[in-house]
Amino acid sequence: MKIMVCLKQVPHQDARLDINADGTWIQEDGIKFEINSYDTYALEEALRLKDAGEAEVLVVSIGPDRVTQALRTALGMGADRAIHIKDAEMEGSDVLGIAKALAAVAKAESPDLIFMGLMSDDGNFAAVAPMLAELVQIPHTTAAVKVEKSNGALTVDREIEGGAHEVVELQAPCVVAVQTGINQVRYASLKGIMAAKKKPLEVKTASDLGLSGQVGAAAAKVKVEKLAPPPKGDRAEILEGSTDEIVGGLVSKIKELGLL
Amino acid sequence: MSTILIVTEVQNGAIRECSFELASFAHKIAGETGGSVKSLVTGQGIEGLAEDFSKKGGGEVYAADHELLATYNATTLGAAIRAAIEASGADLILLSNTPTGWDVAPRVAAALDAGFVSDCFSMSAAGGKPTFHRRVFNGKLDATVSTAAERVVATVQPGAGKPFEGGGEGSVQKLEVPLDAGALRSRFVAVKKAEAKGVDLSKASVIVSGGRGVGAPEKFTEVIQPLADALGGAMGASRPVVDAGWLPHEYQVGSSGQVVQPKLYIACGISGAIQHLVGMKTSNYIIAINKDPDAPIFEVANLGVVADLFEIVPALTKAIQTAKG
Repeated sequence: MKIMVCLKQVPHQDARLDINADGTWIQEDGIKFEINSYDTYALEEALRLKDAGEAEVLVVSIGPDRVTQALRTALGMGADRAIHIKDAEMEGSDVLGIAKALAAVAKAESPDLIFMGLMSDDGNFAAVAPMLAELVQIPHTTAAVKVEKSNGALTVDREIEGGAHEVVELQAPCVVAVQTGINQVRYASLKGIMAAKKKPLEVKTASDLGLSGQVGAAAAKVKVEKLAPPPKGDRAEILEGSTDEIVGGLVSKIKELGLL
Repeated sequence: MSTILIVTEVQNGAIRECSFELASFAHKIAGETGGSVKSLVTGQGIEGLAEDFSKKGGGEVYAADHELLATYNATTLGAAIRAAIEASGADLILLSNTPTGWDVAPRVAAALDAGFVSDCFSMSAAGGKPTFHRRVFNGKLDATVSTAAERVVATVQPGAGKPFEGGGEGSVQKLEVPLDAGALRSRFVAVKKAEAKGVDLSKASVIVSGGRGVGAPEKFTEVIQPLADALGGAMGASRPVVDAGWLPHEYQVGSSGQVVQPKLYIACGISGAIQHLVGMKTSNYIIAINKDPDAPIFEVANLGVVADLFEIVPALTKAIQTAKG
């Protein structure tokens, strides 16, 4: 069995988010990046299936040089191979452009299962998994909180509103976008990190994938015009002063609410 | 955008409120562009609902009535939406960003090679070029996105607009959707209701919640629980805490956990992702303690403290214990 896991490298959750000079994205120079939180759960889910039997785990990511780090981390956690789609022509792709690049890899690799996170922590689009499934013409589901495999089919619990779950059955090959918290994500061991250095990491361009002219800013149907902090509406009154003064202010408010 | 198609959702035998909210967005855009509003109602035995929706803002309604549309399936619903787009000639297709909407909408967009925007909270077509507003970076920034695509599929955040209250002329026509149960490669099995909670936060008058900023599971016992106890309240948590396995799911406050409305909600080390805010923003009074002055939690809080929670919370616990005597 072959499992393809799509990973995105995103700004670290605690990174400073300063707007860039043309106001369309954040300033990426000098900030830390990490594997998108949702995708770490997707990778873990694939590694668990690998641990339970015979499976090859292929990780795929798109982006500049820095993405090598994310792929090496994934290999260190236990993935077997990596494909890095690295091409200036990919820059400025919208979600459909990203899905087309991943679909080209999926068509070449014919995985039995494709896992990825429900959404990215930066763009928050949650679109790539269903788009990829449509482009490859296979079934998909999103917000998976439980995945069980039996006889070429997956039974998946997906999170719906109010804490309820919808149970769906998918025939493989299929795409599953996982919700955070589906499992406990492992860390890469030192031994794993050493072993990862010898694992294959292939670099591919848009033209390698037969996608010249179909991806990147020029082909994007949607583009970010402007990024800005949310408007400051009825913002909280901020208590200032020493710890004692702040605590004093909080206590009198709690008294005023009749809770003390 | 000359024709706007509203993709409604039916739940428990009624059209969901978020679909009426879509009608408000659709009529706004139609007003700006001189376009028309059409709708799709899917399910089994939904002709009455379609009739009703056509008079409540749905305009020309396509009713796709089929047993394979009675429960959600991305393939069958996707086929119905594509059939409605073809029949209506719609160039702007609106869905709600619900578990159904976010699952099917990108598939439809990819099938049609259309532009796609998800989870927007406002939109405009004034000036000819449609623009959408949406949150990015888990609520920390707002993005304005535009599209030059001939056809756009967009999902809208539930609650972002008011339900449409106008009426209007409407009509219903049957939409035939060719569906073959044998060809489906995925199927709906069941809906499992939420399990009863061991921790019922809905009855607590004070809730003290901790987020990722609490840093470690033992800090909940050492720092957060004592403040909750001092106030005679209950402890809660945000999603990352539960995802990390620091506390069980029954403590989770938010759209996928418990929705609470205590007299006082104290958020400690919680940045305020939308999914958390949905679960607590209607609390009577909200105090937020966070190191990051730009954290979105301060947008919903009444009173804020920009500081290390480990300095404030233990001191506050002690002060409350002292005040109680």
